[in-house]
Amino acid sequence: MIPVFSYPTLFGDVDLEVMSVSVDGSDLPYAQISKLERTVALDHGGRSDWESATLRLRATLPDDEASGGPWSELTCLSVLTEKATNSRSSSRLSVEADGHWHGAIELVRGSHLTRATLSLAVVATVGGVAGRLIGQTRENWYVDLVATVPKRQRAIDIMEADFANGPEEWLRPFKESPWIVDTTGDTPTVYLNTGGVEGLLEILNGTGGAATEKMVRETTAAQIAHDAWTAMFHTAVADLDFDEDGTPQMPTGWKARVLRLMIPDVLPGRQLNDALYEINDRRTKGFGWSGLQTSIQYAAGRRSRLNRTLTNAARIALRGEGDEAR
Amino acid sequence: MIEPADLDAPDVMGLLPDAAVEEFLSQAVRSGHDLPPPVALRKASIMLPSAEARWHTKPLRDLLVEAMRRFDDDRVKADGWLAPRLHATVRMTRGEAADSRRWNFLAMIVAPDYVVWRHRGQDLVAAGRFCGPHYTQAFARLWWAAELFRNGADYRPVETACSVQDVLNTTMRLDVIDHRPTALAILEVLADLIRENRGRLGDHVNALSSSVNAAGSTLVYDALAEEGVGDIAVLQDWIAEAQEMPPAPWERLPYGPDDGAVKAGVVDALVPLFERLLAEAPIRQRPRHAASSGEI
Repeated sequence: MIPVFSYPTLFGDVDLEVMSVSVDGSDLPYAQISKLERTVALDHGGRSDWESATLRLRATLPDDEASGGPWSELTCLSVLTEKATNSRSSSRLSVEADGHWHGAIELVRGSHLTRATLSLAVVATVGGVAGRLIGQTRENWYVDLVATVPKRQRAIDIMEADFANGPEEWLRPFKESPWIVDTTGDTPTVYLNTGGVEGLLEILNGTGGAATEKMVRETTAAQIAHDAWTAMFHTAVADLDFDEDGTPQMPTGWKARVLRLMIPDVLPGRQLNDALYEINDRRTKGFGWSGLQTSIQYAAGRRSRLNRTLTNAARIALRGEGDEAR
Repeated sequence: MIEPADLDAPDVMGLLPDAAVEEFLSQAVRSGHDLPPPVALRKASIMLPSAEARWHTKPLRDLLVEAMRRFDDDRVKADGWLAPRLHATVRMTRGEAADSRRWNFLAMIVAPDYVVWRHRGQDLVAAGRFCGPHYTQAFARLWWAAELFRNGADYRPVETACSVQDVLNTTMRLDVIDHRPTALAILEVLADLIRENRGRLGDHVNALSSSVNAAGSTLVYDALAEEGVGDIAVLQDWIAEAQEMPPAPWERLPYGPDDGAVKAGVVDALVPLFERLLAEAPIRQRPRHAASSGEI
């Protein structure tokens, strides 16, 4: 939600950079911090026994505005949050000789689970009211506790498991399924059944092979993706939170991403919030929900690039392998 | 109905995945006529190390049985008694508590009888009481209420929070209360309302919470009231002490981890502001039946 401000705020860009990170006193390799992706990957070498990480920060404010604006007592506050653990901590930055704001914030491992969000709030007294938010970073940083590579987008997790004989008892009933999609967790996960279709996993995990093998790989991958998108969409709309007048709220994390990407195909030409309201209405009241399934399938098909994959596959099947080199 | 004696709880807690819960939440389980199938559920779980006393189920079962005995006439009141004692018994970090599998295991395997006892109404117990978000799940909501509303080692604010169900149902969902001084300031205002004997406390709490939340989009409470840095070492020691801890006291409050209480003046910086927000907030009258069903 973008708040409407009833008082003057900063117009120029506020920028926040993570300059370096130390984990229990030793520096995290520079490659674990991506300024482009605005993400820090804290898992380095699988070490899991650390207790706290200190992030050194530098913030840049639009100079003239900050010093000459209609406010006083301007300060910068970095804020580290994670919704899953209801954690929130903040620390003050201070302006130094180079004109930038510097400071550090500590991430306590026990207070976090998977991914914390780091933001910067510029706060000042405006019109006699202290603690007003007058500026913030347009894009937050992510501090990922489980990632080994600093990438912003978290993909779907893919796990291989023996449904029939593996340790995950709950997969047992699905033992004859080649894969299942689980959207109950923090990250949607596709479980591939190692005891399912013989040879399928070898093909999926392979890279080269004959044209027919590639065809199976690509169509299967598209089919799995299609299932995953459909399941994720249903979970995202079924898990909505509502504000007090019953308006559905945009969720967070992967659910938000799925809805943003799919809603334009499910209900084309609608504003996102309107569409969300309508979809929820149809789902809860049952009216027009079945009709929507067609569009959900269509949207999932587009996301999983089913059309492209099947076109390629049909070509290979009809024209034979020889044409593939074209 | 199931009696506590029917239940053969395992000695140690475990982790039960969400995906494994759903199929066992039958009508009979949610109405309290059947226990969830313990063998199948235990097979679907990952057991926690039995060497860690904090994962033993006996101290928790004792508390639950006592809560059911004490509050059988007024089940809602059990929350304020149980929340601090549960928190001081099942000692863990927020990271550990955020794992929903832990709560699923408690609700489905260790204490399904308690979930039904506490949350049964005219209808079935809502599925979210067994497996749901932190402000709904039968045990997660109590643990988190204690964690979010305690002031360092002092659990007294938790009792205030649990005395009005809307704090758990509404206030606890809001991100603003992850800032401890904000959470405590809301409770201060609530405590004043209780002292003044104001009616419709729930409506006031809802109005206050949503005003504080809305104002929080332009007012940075962290800047107005600094929380200070919590002491992780103290929390870790407190968790480690679980190895030797005696059972939580029944008649007086236990002590929480002394990992950094908010200084008195800090909360005071927010209280007048919140009082003003409440005075300006529109208070919705809820129909009586809605108010009472919210309490279950």
